[in-house]
Amino acid sequence: MSASRDAILVKNISKTFPSRQGAPVAALEDINLTVKEGEFLCIVGPSGCGKSTLLRILAGLEEPTSGEVVVTVKEEGKPVNSMVFQEQSLLPWYTVKDNVSYGLAMRGVPKPERERIADHYLKMTDLSRFAHAYPYQLSGGMKQRVSVARAFANDPAILLLDEPFGSLDEQTRVLLQQELLKIWEGSNKTAIFITHSIDEALGLGDRVLVMTARPGKVKAILDIDLPRPRDLTVIRSQPRFLDLFHLIWFSLREEVVKARTEELR
Amino acid sequence: MRTEGKLGKLVSFFSPALLLILWEVLARTGLVDIRLFSCPSRIMKTFGPVLLSGELLYHSWISVRRIILGFVAGAVPGVILGLSMGLFPLVRAALEPMVAATFPIPKLAIMPLILLVFGLGESSKVFTIAIGVFYLVLINTMAGVLSIDKIYLDVAKNYGASRWNFYRTVALPGALPMIFAGFKLGMGTALLLIVAAELSAARAGVGYWIWRAYDMFDIERMFVALITMSVLGYLLSYLLDFIEQRVIPWKAPHA
Ligand SMILES: Nc1ncnc2c1ncn2[C@@H]1O[C@H](COP(=O)(O)OP(=O)(O)OP(=O)(O)O)[C@@H](O)[C@H]1O
Ligand SMILES: [Mg+2]
Repeated sequence: MSASRDAILVKNISKTFPSRQGAPVAALEDINLTVKEGEFLCIVGPSGCGKSTLLRILAGLEEPTSGEVVVTVKEEGKPVNSMVFQEQSLLPWYTVKDNVSYGLAMRGVPKPERERIADHYLKMTDLSRFAHAYPYQLSGGMKQRVSVARAFANDPAILLLDEPFGSLDEQTRVLLQQELLKIWEGSNKTAIFITHSIDEALGLGDRVLVMTARPGKVKAILDIDLPRPRDLTVIRSQPRFLDLFHLIWFSLREEVVKARTEELR
Repeated sequence: MRTEGKLGKLVSFFSPALLLILWEVLARTGLVDIRLFSCPSRIMKTFGPVLLSGELLYHSWISVRRIILGFVAGAVPGVILGLSMGLFPLVRAALEPMVAATFPIPKLAIMPLILLVFGLGESSKVFTIAIGVFYLVLINTMAGVLSIDKIYLDVAKNYGASRWNFYRTVALPGALPMIFAGFKLGMGTALLLIVAAELSAARAGVGYWIWRAYDMFDIERMFVALITMSVLGYLLSYLLDFIEQRVIPWKAPHA
């Protein structure tokens, strides 16, 4: 962690979705959280506990029902945040390259510059050969990589990543995790990263936030005191890693069981 | 898969040919009344002179010009209003009742009114087609805008698209497939309306030609006109498909 100014303050956030049939759905309840500038925060929690909802609120795409979010980071000429969406979100009418440079184009970055940046991230995500393909011609994992490249290329102060590597093969995932760490370490970016993989959370995060079953609350926040720079393949065999893994595992297990029983009722 | 495709093409080619042969045989054996239904060989005999004299091309050209003028005159405001109604709830609220009330009126039913207003000249025919095309394009364009997946709105917002850039990079391309669906429906209606429009007070056009042949009980000529109409219809919808493939290259081609 390079700096210690606050980047995002989350104050007493709750979110309830109205629903047409029956009771409204309480997705988030009373979330309090401070994210430091330059911090890498991972979020884990059972499916449906409100992780994506929280991220969308942080991105300003959704309004909380109560409470407020204060984003204090600001970098001259850079976007505040860029999201890697959980679902397929590439614009079907643009080629891979135009999708990657979408944010740059929206900010009026001149074309040659845009091309240069897009080419760089296409190469990094191993998509150069598909620069001129349309999304329908890509596999699920390739689409996900384009969506990651689009966020990286936009060079935001805060990266919001919603299970960005979920449907990738193990090798590609480790490769992109490493690239993400490289980008993050070489910058002052704040990253918030949702994942279902404890491995991934431990490999990447400065802290891991464990959420409860729905309505999502903060169950625990753990400091990941593993040395950096981390080698994701080596780190797994360290004793401290295993301790943390078990801690999160049991914390999470309890919530997943709760979520399941809730569902069965 | 490949052999199936080839077989399909073969079947598609031979089934109409078979029908024509059947028609000819039934006519020759007297099972079908030649005075009413003619037969392929007689129709072919009429075809030659009609083509060489330029009669066919003349009537076709007149009709095609009316269709294209009417189509453009209906489609352009249809797209513009459809986009506005899709994008701005206020515009939608203001116009939707009127559209809903006037759309179900059969376009043929207002032809007398159109004739009174526009007279017997070209403009009445063009307008009849325009009004038919207009509604279908309008309704499809609006539905196209409204059916754009919400995730793309989120992407535009998150990646900092201005209002204008949102229209340009999400709303318009997102609605294009539906806009083209509207164009195709509109073209179908245009072909229907042209015949009706040329029935009343026209001196040329394929529709007029059909009615002339009817007056003179010239069954063969009538069939030639009908075939011309179907070929024109085919060419015009082919033209639309051709344009669509160029304008919407991101659509997965369906086999
Ligand atoms: N727009 C919405 N309208 C109504 N309910 C919603 C909406 N978005 C989310 N929800 C509900 O809110 C809850 C949390 O959803 P969310 O997508 O945040 O879960 P999640 O933690 O991201 O799950 P997953 O790990 O499966 O992606 C769910 O019960 C979901 O049904
Ligand atoms: Mg989610």
